[in-house]
Amino acid sequence: MVVDVVGFLPHATIHLPGPFRYLWLQPICCANSPPRMSPEQILFWVFAVATVFSALGVVVLKNPIASAMSLVATFFFLAGIYVLLWAHTVAALQVLVYAGAIMVLFLFVIMLLSINDVGPAVQLSFSRLLGAVATAALLAALVLAFRKLPTSDLAWANDPARLASFGSIKEVGAIMYTQWLFPFEAVSLLLLVAIVGAVVVAKSRI
Amino acid sequence: MTIPEFTMADFWPVIPAGILTAAAIVLMISEVFLGAAASRTYQSLLSVLACVLAGAVALMNMTDTPRAVLQGYAVMDPFSSFLTLVVCVGTGLAALLAAGFLQHRNAERGEFYALMLFAAAGMTLLGLSNEFITLFVNLEVLSVATYALTAWLRRGSRPSEGAFKYFILGAFAAALMLYGAALLYGATGTTHLTDMAAKLRAALAETDASGGHPKQMLIYAGFLLVGAGFAFKVAAVPFHMWTPDVYEGAPTPVTALMSAGVKAAAFVALVRVFMALGPAVDPQLPFIAFSVLALLTMVVGNLLALPQRNVKRMLAYSSIAHAGYLLLGVAALFAVGKDAKVGVLSSTPLVGISGSMQSDVYQGILFYLLGYTVTAIGAFGTIVALERREDETKGNAWDLDRFAGLGSRKPGWALAMTVFMLSLGGVPPTVGFIGKVLLFRAAVDAGLLGLSIVGMLASAAGVYYYLRVVVYMYMRPAPEGALVPERRWTTELALVATAAGTVLFGVLPGPITALLQRTDMLFHR
Amino acid sequence: MFTHMVSPLTPYLPVAVVLGLAGLLAVLIPALTTRLGPRSVNEIKSATFECGSDPIGSARQRFAVKFYVVALLFIVFDVEAVFLYPWAVNFKALGWFGYGTMVAFAFTLVMGLVYIWKKGALTWES
Repeated sequence: MVVDVVGFLPHATIHLPGPFRYLWLQPICCANSPPRMSPEQILFWVFAVATVFSALGVVVLKNPIASAMSLVATFFFLAGIYVLLWAHTVAALQVLVYAGAIMVLFLFVIMLLSINDVGPAVQLSFSRLLGAVATAALLAALVLAFRKLPTSDLAWANDPARLASFGSIKEVGAIMYTQWLFPFEAVSLLLLVAIVGAVVVAKSRI
Repeated sequence: MTIPEFTMADFWPVIPAGILTAAAIVLMISEVFLGAAASRTYQSLLSVLACVLAGAVALMNMTDTPRAVLQGYAVMDPFSSFLTLVVCVGTGLAALLAAGFLQHRNAERGEFYALMLFAAAGMTLLGLSNEFITLFVNLEVLSVATYALTAWLRRGSRPSEGAFKYFILGAFAAALMLYGAALLYGATGTTHLTDMAAKLRAALAETDASGGHPKQMLIYAGFLLVGAGFAFKVAAVPFHMWTPDVYEGAPTPVTALMSAGVKAAAFVALVRVFMALGPAVDPQLPFIAFSVLALLTMVVGNLLALPQRNVKRMLAYSSIAHAGYLLLGVAALFAVGKDAKVGVLSSTPLVGISGSMQSDVYQGILFYLLGYTVTAIGAFGTIVALERREDETKGNAWDLDRFAGLGSRKPGWALAMTVFMLSLGGVPPTVGFIGKVLLFRAAVDAGLLGLSIVGMLASAAGVYYYLRVVVYMYMRPAPEGALVPERRWTTELALVATAAGTVLFGVLPGPITALLQRTDMLFHR
Repeated sequence: MFTHMVSPLTPYLPVAVVLGLAGLLAVLIPALTTRLGPRSVNEIKSATFECGSDPIGSARQRFAVKFYVVALLFIVFDVEAVFLYPWAVNFKALGWFGYGTMVAFAFTLVMGLVYIWKKGALTWES
């Protein structure tokens, strides 16, 4: 039995004004139904806005520990977005590896440094200005790129069997160990290099 | 699920990388089990042996038929096999240099050579990757290994600064490239270069209700980001800022490996990606992008090298300039031929050069890579012999004065350095001259006359700062208490080999050019 | 229609329930203790330590680098373990072929483990 978690939530009907039309996302299953916000869409906006703000927090917050915690929040919200994309395995690994293991490392690094030292004040310089302009240009280019993208139904959006298994750890494994062998084995080389590199850089006596 | 099947034919192209990895693991494990008890000279020799074996396999692969292998994730073509050969030559020579360098600093460990071989394995795999995720993983293998190598001498501010800058900017560049690849994946639904090329055309032609092309911007943004990531890796202007500090801070044998191997591998991957995807979009755009990059890199690299008195830093800027000449070759791949007038601002529809002209450009690029590898490693090798650990913190370890009077004190060493400087400047009878001739001739044939003239003028300006070293060696008296080059047989062997190679390939380029005279250089489908 | 739609959120009902309960408790327990518990604040009670000695300096001391090596190695092996899960759930279907691929993958990492073990990166340097 499939438990419908969200079916009983009220469906808001929101009409967005013209310039914001491109923010609209059709639910993948019901492109033909009248526009209304599905629970997935509501959750998407919750996660998306929260991701952006917690990511801003990482950059803006003064206390490094607070920045790191903000990064944890970013990882969690991103995991939520992965769930909405049916990428269940990636979402689980996001929480397990990033929010778990990698954040531990980040906190260690922060504690290795003396966090009471305040860095030099940010000053306006030519290179910073250039960097800001480049960043703004990149953002503009990406907005342009995404603005016009068509929304299209996935071919298997109405195939419940496919949807039930898609993104599951079993399906990921079935593909990774038969079709993606070369990159998979290359990852083991990368991990080995990372082990040697970590010992070489960080061990006090080698 | 279907279990894939592999035959031996699938594995030949990755065997060199397998040999290098196996040797690296042996070095790593033998270091911890033998430890300080045994002399460590075997480590350098074992690395050289692995490079020789891997290079021999690569040479054998050169004659094999080009094909896609390993489920299409990799290709077997002369282009990648020759890169493997260049990487093996470069790594073997750098490992010989490293022995003397590390013994002088009492820092010789198996991990150093292991990381060098891991980096080399990453480079060879990067050259044959035909899929974006594979390409990224292999790029990271080589990058992580070189980050750790840069930080090898952990004391002092220069190594720390160099390693830190390299790591931060390298990670940034990798992220840019990955983002670009993700956008291209979003437009086409595949990460395989061959599939992507086929689907890009359809994706670009898609129209929406208003008659626009909705995916056009997405694809161009993807190309922009992938190109910027590669430009960082090959140190093209304006993405070159990290190069001088990193090259100066890294241990000199590692700098030699970076200027030769890392750059060559990045160039081969760049050519593969853009030759697969560029023509599918519109050759005009990659042509303009690479022409502008080549122009800026050639001119700015040479201009920045002019005032340098620090020879190691001068060679870093010179490596930027050499990347510019190679970018000229890349731009030529998207031009049309000498009958059509090609300019950055012209509107001639470009279709990309084809046939023999294209293989001339490939020949030029690959020959140049080999020539630059041999010469640059020789030049850095001379620096290895002249620098002293005590002086690194003072900052004068690489000053021009170190070379003053070397011609009368040590004529052999001075002669070798003269050969390297002439080759870097493109003066006959050296390999650098032949490389420039092949590259510029192919570019002129492709219609890039203006850009080639700029390149020749820039390299003529470059001769000034290369010859300044020669002038110091022969016409300046040696200062009081001048240092003599440190003599180690490994360093001397490497220098003799590079100097001999520089002259020999300059006088008799025939065997190499014959090896590179192929019409099926780059495997496409 | 909508109620029959397959949602990616469906398997996360238990997660939502746990999150809801956790949030509820996080609000409820502090609220109840502040309301119900008797409080008497004085100088001795609000001092950081009550073991007889005055606190000296900040609790934020710099960590030793040795923590960093351990954390870094932990991540590498954590990522390796991540690659084992999808293999384990497909173990039967992949058969000996899958076993071979995983042996090749694990071999390089076991070599890494041997290396750091003998190198002494796992022993606590004091």
